[in-house]
Amino acid sequence: MKKTLTFAIMTAFIVSIIGCSSGNKEEASGKPAASGATETKAPEKVKLSLWHNYTGDDLRAQTMRATLEQFQKDNPNIELDVQGIPPDGYRARLKTVAAANEMPDLFVMWPGVMTREFVGGELLQPINELLDSKPEWKEGFLPNSFTEFTVDEKTYGAPMALSPTSILYYNKTIFDEHNVQPPKTWDDLMNLVDTFKKAKITPIALGNKAAWVAQSSILSSLADRVTGTEWFLKAAAGDGAKFTDPEFVEALKHLQQLSDAKAFQDGFNSIDNTQMEQMFAQGKAAMMIDGGWALTNLAANASPEALAAMRATVLPSIPGGKGNPDSLSGVVGTGLGLSKKVEGARKDAAFKLIYAMANPEVQKKTLEGNQLVSYKVELDTSKVTPIFAEVYKLLGTVTTTPVYDGRLSSAVADVVNNGLQELLMGGNPEAIAKKIQAAHEKELAGSK
Amino acid sequence: MTTSTRIKGFILIGLLPALLLYSFFVIVPIFWSAYYGFFDWKGLGSAKFIGLTNYVEVFNDPIFWTGFKNNMLIVAASVFGQVPIAMILALLLTRASLFQRMIRASIFMPMVLSSVVVGIIWGYIYHPQIGVLNFVLDATGLEMIKKVWLSDPSVSMYAIMVPIIWNYIGPYMIIFIAALQNTSPEINDAASLDGVGPVRKLFQVTLPMIWDTIKVVIVLCISGSLKAFDLIYVMTGGGPAHTTEVLASYMYNSTFNVYRFGYGSAISTAIIILSLILILGSQYLMKRDYR
Repeated sequence: MKKTLTFAIMTAFIVSIIGCSSGNKEEASGKPAASGATETKAPEKVKLSLWHNYTGDDLRAQTMRATLEQFQKDNPNIELDVQGIPPDGYRARLKTVAAANEMPDLFVMWPGVMTREFVGGELLQPINELLDSKPEWKEGFLPNSFTEFTVDEKTYGAPMALSPTSILYYNKTIFDEHNVQPPKTWDDLMNLVDTFKKAKITPIALGNKAAWVAQSSILSSLADRVTGTEWFLKAAAGDGAKFTDPEFVEALKHLQQLSDAKAFQDGFNSIDNTQMEQMFAQGKAAMMIDGGWALTNLAANASPEALAAMRATVLPSIPGGKGNPDSLSGVVGTGLGLSKKVEGARKDAAFKLIYAMANPEVQKKTLEGNQLVSYKVELDTSKVTPIFAEVYKLLGTVTTTPVYDGRLSSAVADVVNNGLQELLMGGNPEAIAKKIQAAHEKELAGSK
Repeated sequence: MTTSTRIKGFILIGLLPALLLYSFFVIVPIFWSAYYGFFDWKGLGSAKFIGLTNYVEVFNDPIFWTGFKNNMLIVAASVFGQVPIAMILALLLTRASLFQRMIRASIFMPMVLSSVVVGIIWGYIYHPQIGVLNFVLDATGLEMIKKVWLSDPSVSMYAIMVPIIWNYIGPYMIIFIAALQNTSPEINDAASLDGVGPVRKLFQVTLPMIWDTIKVVIVLCISGSLKAFDLIYVMTGGGPAHTTEVLASYMYNSTFNVYRFGYGSAISTAIIILSLILILGSQYLMKRDYR
């Protein structure tokens, strides 16, 4: 009975989301389009809807919400209909309205697969016009910032953040107590695992319940060390390389070595990313492999002493590997996507808002909120946590390699994620590689 | 004659609003989703008609059958766990003394909690590092049966069943209590006068009198178990590596995580077909009742 009710409510909820947003849209697009056609010059009141996922209490989210409020104050003729959606459900809701072709005017959008899928669905319009009108701003972004937002030479977003996905965080205090150094090679790492196991400390904290952690944070970098970036790009394009190739199987075997050596705490497949960050912050684990997003969370939750003990480095090199060991996997962060339906005065207003959310000043504030950005900004280290300053410095010295779920379609990434859970429970690497390749071939065949 | 047609007409008019709503929100979407099952659709852009390919894939998909097997385990746990426990509790708690009312309320309580809350609470009970369960096992010297309850595929499904049974016993117990209170006391008294012992009275008098209610509860149990989703979604998300996947969670993941809307629709249609078979099968079995 209860379950029926839950389902009914869920259905009603989804229907109401679609219903509401469509209602807003008609209201929003109907009025200004009619009046905008007659006189475009007058400061006509325009309405824009915006969806974002800055609902949290971290500094980043606070900065972005404050930016929106400021924009609203500065532009009384632009009326914003802002909807903040908690991050966990954000992608699913965006995809749901995308399926119904009822997108908000502006929305926080991921680069890579999501951008390409939305462009493929003809839901977006490019923002090149805006970028070209502010060349200084455009120049200020780090190299390759727009690559993952660009489809067929048209750019659909300006990144508001940067997400390195696989940083090896370690606890200096614990390392000093055991007289060990951060690992440079794979053997170092395996020795560290032994040392910490003997001392009854969890070597590496892992929270892989949501299954993307092992893939995005560990495998993306680890596999790159073994196979090299070129191989992965070829395999992702289905052109001359396959996931059943010995190099990829080798990478899977390396990952499995970690779980075989019990490098992770018990039950890593049933705790989540946040709990893993807590474990590391509380000094219950010597290391963790996590993305740049951990920095904001740690800054908000860890004690100052714990933060002071944290250090960051890249994953160790792997003997015989083809990849550059001075690299880490990463993607540029989200940017604002612009719906195809926005035109005329509303489009000008939308451009204004996109700039307001990603201009140099906001990028700087974001950086000071312990969130990495893909923009050239001088960092005032006194305003951020020491671990953030260290990661920021580290990023200046390494190159960035692709992330698996940033390149592979959602369906294939899902098979990789589940495959890694299986691998870490003792699954057969060859069989898992086969499953991944099969899913990937199906996807490639479908998109042709 | 005219009166009876008028009554029938009145019944029809009375039923119409509910019927309309029901067909609009339940019946039509079922067919709609069966129709979507014929397409290769990512949720974006145009859908491509691919005939029965999705349905063939569903029935050849090992994960679908893992989900089906897990659903069957939950059905078994509900029918052979929830129903007897609810029945025993109902028999013990038919009277309405203060103490019994309190126990009844506390058994019913998990129903009032949101299943997300229940899932999180049990997630912490089973937590590998700070979980209460492992702590209690440690404290009582039972270390050897300590497990990583939700990550170990050999026990995770059973670990999940415990909160499912615990969570949904309440309403079945209430239904049974209502049925027991509606049985006629004369028959009970007559049985007592005839010198029937309590066990025999239970099996030959009480249970046959509420057999219809039991049938309804079993059907509710089966259909509820086939829809099991919320607790599992919160506790394990169907993982690790699909080992605790049930049909509904697999359908959800295929649709909203992987964005294969067509395939997800095909799975949900398959769920409906399997559920109908099960419900009809159980009805048929229970027709030959022991009244």
